[in-house]
Amino acid sequence: MAASRLMDQPFARVCLAGFLSWLLPGAGHVAIGCRTRGIILMVTIAVTFWTGVAIGGVQDTVQPKKRFTWFLAQTCAGVHGLAAYSWSEHARAAPDALENANPSYASVDTGVVYSGIAGLLSLLIILDAIGRADAPSEEASAPAGRSARERAP
Amino acid sequence: MTLPLTALLGSIVISGVWRVAMLIPLSLSVALVYKTTRCRQVRDIPMAVVGLWLTIVLGMYAVGVAAWLVFMICVEWTA
Repeated sequence: MAASRLMDQPFARVCLAGFLSWLLPGAGHVAIGCRTRGIILMVTIAVTFWTGVAIGGVQDTVQPKKRFTWFLAQTCAGVHGLAAYSWSEHARAAPDALENANPSYASVDTGVVYSGIAGLLSLLIILDAIGRADAPSEEASAPAGRSARERAP
Repeated sequence: MTLPLTALLGSIVISGVWRVAMLIPLSLSVALVYKTTRCRQVRDIPMAVVGLWLTIVLGMYAVGVAAWLVFMICVEWTA
């Protein structure tokens, strides 16, 4: 109830769409009513980001000290970037976990590019969610779970 | 549960043609996100994504082949 009242205010709607899009790419679209688009974006960013982490290894892919600019791009993926960073710090602190790690620099580069591009695509998603929240279309103005046609009397 | 998590700690060895092939899924992601944000109707997304994906892949490989040919010609001249 409070959330739907918040979504009626234009400024709050824009802020919430932008913040949710950063936190979980695609969630902002779902919040403003573009459910299908939101789910497509959510799945695409998650798969791309974690494919990068799987290719490069979590401890080398998200590395703010070695690759700060790529790390900035990765943080745009919100919870994905933060989870991977927290996991890489945890893995570094536990030497037993690193025994099977086999860093291949060609693979690490590929992994960094995948996760970094997922972050940059998230930036595009944030801007799109803000734009849609600011000027809601028919699809975006429909509440979650009901289309505009269903709402019509 | 532990096995997939530990598998993510180390990197996968990618070499040779696989490094070039990694462009294909990445360009699919780019096409999917871009067209999802740009298409007016959700039903238009699949065809638009396929079109953009093929354009990116073919374009990037064409640029790669052209750069490789220029490199080989330069090597021939300097040899």
